[in-house]
Amino acid sequence: MANRPTCKTKDGRKERKRKIYHAAFRFGLRSKRRKIQPVKMVKAVVGEESQLKLIEDRLSQSGLPVQLGLVVGKLSSPLDRGFVFDLVPTPPNDAGEAACSLLESVKDDKEKGTKSRSQAAEVSSLFIDDDWVAEHARQVARMLVGGVGVVGIYIWVSSDAFKNSTIMLYQLLQTIKGVAEATPVLETDREERLLIHICYSPMRWTCRNCTWTSNITSSSLRPCDFKMGRVLTSLQTFKCTYNFNLSLPICHESASNVQTLRDVLRQGISHHAKELKDAKAIIDGNLVVGDEPCTLDGVHEVELLLPFMKDSNAEACSRKDALGVLVFNGSVCSFAYLNSKEPISQAVSDIKMDIIMSLQSRLDIICDEAYGDVGPKDDASPEASDGISTNKPVSQLVLHFLRKECSLSFPRRVFVPWLAGTYICDYLQPSETLEVLKDHCVELMSMEGPTDASTILKPEIEAPSLVTKSFWDVAAPFYSASSFPFGDDMEEGRDLDNSQSSVKLSNKLVFIG
Amino acid sequence: MIGAVTDLNNTREVQFFRTRSENSRSLELVTSVVYDEHPEKHIWETGCLLRCELPIRLPVYFPAKNWPDAEKMYLRATEAVVAKFKDPQVVYVVETLSKASTGVPQPVILRGIELDFDTALSNIKLLGKDAHDSDPKFLSCAHFCLKSKSDRPILSAENADIIQLSVLLNSSEKSEKSSSPVAEYIPALEEAGLLAVNFKLGVLCYAAKEIPVMYAVSKLIIPGLVDQLNSMKNVILPNLLTKHPQLCPYHFNPPGVLHPITVIYELNYGETEMKQVDIRKSLHLRLGLPSDRPLLRIANALDFSTTNDSARNDTIRKGSTLLKDVHVGIPISGVPGGIVSLIQGSYEYYHYLQDSFNDSGWGCAYRSLQTIISWFRLQHYSSIDVPSHREIQQALVEIGDKDASFIGSREWIGAIELSFVLDKLLGVSCRVINVTSGAELPEKCRELALHFENQGTPIMIGGGVLAYTLLGVDYNEASGDCAFLILDPHYTGNEDLKKIVNGGWCGWKKSVDSKGRSFFLHDKFYNLLLPQRPNMV
Repeated sequence: MANRPTCKTKDGRKERKRKIYHAAFRFGLRSKRRKIQPVKMVKAVVGEESQLKLIEDRLSQSGLPVQLGLVVGKLSSPLDRGFVFDLVPTPPNDAGEAACSLLESVKDDKEKGTKSRSQAAEVSSLFIDDDWVAEHARQVARMLVGGVGVVGIYIWVSSDAFKNSTIMLYQLLQTIKGVAEATPVLETDREERLLIHICYSPMRWTCRNCTWTSNITSSSLRPCDFKMGRVLTSLQTFKCTYNFNLSLPICHESASNVQTLRDVLRQGISHHAKELKDAKAIIDGNLVVGDEPCTLDGVHEVELLLPFMKDSNAEACSRKDALGVLVFNGSVCSFAYLNSKEPISQAVSDIKMDIIMSLQSRLDIICDEAYGDVGPKDDASPEASDGISTNKPVSQLVLHFLRKECSLSFPRRVFVPWLAGTYICDYLQPSETLEVLKDHCVELMSMEGPTDASTILKPEIEAPSLVTKSFWDVAAPFYSASSFPFGDDMEEGRDLDNSQSSVKLSNKLVFIG
Repeated sequence: MIGAVTDLNNTREVQFFRTRSENSRSLELVTSVVYDEHPEKHIWETGCLLRCELPIRLPVYFPAKNWPDAEKMYLRATEAVVAKFKDPQVVYVVETLSKASTGVPQPVILRGIELDFDTALSNIKLLGKDAHDSDPKFLSCAHFCLKSKSDRPILSAENADIIQLSVLLNSSEKSEKSSSPVAEYIPALEEAGLLAVNFKLGVLCYAAKEIPVMYAVSKLIIPGLVDQLNSMKNVILPNLLTKHPQLCPYHFNPPGVLHPITVIYELNYGETEMKQVDIRKSLHLRLGLPSDRPLLRIANALDFSTTNDSARNDTIRKGSTLLKDVHVGIPISGVPGGIVSLIQGSYEYYHYLQDSFNDSGWGCAYRSLQTIISWFRLQHYSSIDVPSHREIQQALVEIGDKDASFIGSREWIGAIELSFVLDKLLGVSCRVINVTSGAELPEKCRELALHFENQGTPIMIGGGVLAYTLLGVDYNEASGDCAFLILDPHYTGNEDLKKIVNGGWCGWKKSVDSKGRSFFLHDKFYNLLLPQRPNMV
């Protein structure tokens, strides 16, 4: 690290601080807590004993000098605690190289001859494929449900190599930063991730908490207490089926502001996220008001309540000429896991976050694949008169030029059993089979794929293919095409009543169950 | 429905008739009528208010080439909203609106699917006070009313039990087929326009506490919302394609009316614009309210905010430490057989040294003026801030009464200056009564009593000596015995009501006290400034 010209006292203090960390690190001590904590952060971390012991055994038997991977778990700032559920090694990259390897180099030739073990360790550094680790984090995050996330990285490396190398620490911080950028936590400008070091001979786990706002430096690190315990079995499960129906108007804009279908959807999702944030929630039939923890066992049903007929999308383009309407609807099945000590409101915000992330992930998956399929696109040339160029994926279409209907089906979400009765998720395109899912589990999550297909939850059915409707059917749904221009009011009213009574009946049945 | 008939020629007895149902054409005579001396007690002890605020934003697409269709589209869209109120997916959240943080009942949710719209209101089974049922369907309104009433003896709409209702849409309704998301783009084949129409609904309903809350929703709140939506819809319709009127409902509880009323104002117009003034005038007329009391201005509206020091209260007076209505509860004047005539409405007590401003020895008339202006503010005749000494001086310079050097000086002002300032800042005109000696003041008591009866404004007493504010007179016409309710601006202490009353800074003064001393000096002249209540609403 560069030497910054600072005044003596400051330097002195810095030096002392670093020493404390080293001592704390070496002996697993907890540093004295400062009295004033300006920001709440995780002070203690509990790892899932059953899972981490398995990993420990696997690592010590592997004989690997170094391994790097992701920490999957949960950070709870109200509890000042972190929970580690699993460690997932980053697989070799596309070229077949390990994501992380140990480089042993020496400072100059003189020392080369008298190379002793400790000296070698002093100058050892790592090769880390940061981009690859970040990409792994992005893909793993997609497979996690509400309340579970990629909360940091772990490194398996000898303690000698680690403690003496500030270069290594610096490298790891950059990796953490990359992981954090790939798995952003919404609505926060302060990042917080864990760095877990598992060292062999002697076998020891140490954990540091890394918080930063814009720049990550060694002062972003704080040691934190790490212990093993039972974490997964005490998790509370929350489940929600979220139905949504957004009408996004496409209006005449200035030519510079033309948007692709993907842009419009992305904007629609982030706009909806804001609306969802304020939604009230019912859990097991009771309105969530207080912040008391949830005491009952079992799967808790969450229902989300949104504003009544308050279409905030209409505002964006009032009175302009409407070119068309993008209807974005369907259901998202969502899960969230809550530590039993966390307030119940956390489960609600985790569910909301999961819904939004699930929509974003699906859009990303569609777009990722579209990019893969089509070569470098030339978007400078405007499309043919009908707006559809021959080989452009649907997500890349510019709706402003489009004069035809088009539709984009989002992949289905399926849930795969994970640890201790919990689930992770994956997304299946219509053409994909469960084999794809198995590959993802093995490759990304370092777990055995599900052997029994019946254990996989498939609560969402495939999106229906486009039902051809007229613009007026969609833009004014209360307004049936047959009655245009304005048929018999009475008849229509009667139809409405009938449909309502049938819906009532089916709902009653559901409620009894 | 209940109707009443009275025979003006004979007995003047009022007879009441009622119909059993909405469609019934037969009238029945009501045989037992109870006349209650305090009807408000009955009303607020057995009933409560239901409040529901609901902002709605509707997108209305319309064919650009066929504008009349825009209106039809718009009407259909509002019809769809009306139908949606009864949708099984709608959820009504019922909660107690209360300032208290403890002992408030938990909110309850009512699902649209559980609501009963068919039972006639007269057939609804009322629930007794002791009805306990965990099923929200059978909870009465009383469940949401606070049990302890001892600390709130004044029964009025403002202190009534208020149940707040929120209308929300359940987006997690279970369904057989939850299909994964799909995005479909449908282009408009003909030119189309899009309007966003906003409705700001806000209804207030009165419900007997024994009514099950689910019927209060289906029979009171929803019809109320539908009515309001329809009336707003009709006002917006002619301006659909231009600037929409900004309609906003306000609730009022004017004196003499037992129940609150709701008025929808168009906020695109300023409150003092003639159009709005005319609307208020006609409302006053229709409700039988006096035509010189502003009772239906937005500032008069019922305030349901649950925070104790809401932003609105703050704006009345920055750091509102001033005492209001200090004369309430002071010892009686002791005039035998006297008739008390007092100012009507609230004022704030302004006196020496307030706001760390040292005006001792010269600022008493300024302080009296501030008290008077606070009265006009609190009666909603004006919304200007109470002026400081400097601002008062500024006003006098601006009208040319004083030279520029007057600003920042410590010169006294008198009743005449006060009348100039009241005219300039509030447009209020004043009557002035001159007496050449304090001894003549008791003779003016009848006139002053009449002022308090008819105008009800605070009077400033100025003249050769100290300035006072006069809040009332106690006068025995037969004996001529009288006392004056004086608010003295010369008080220099802190805002301590006890100290003010015990020190006689606000109290009844007889013109000659028991020790034979005269309150009004016989060798000095006095000017009495009687501000006239503006004839406006």
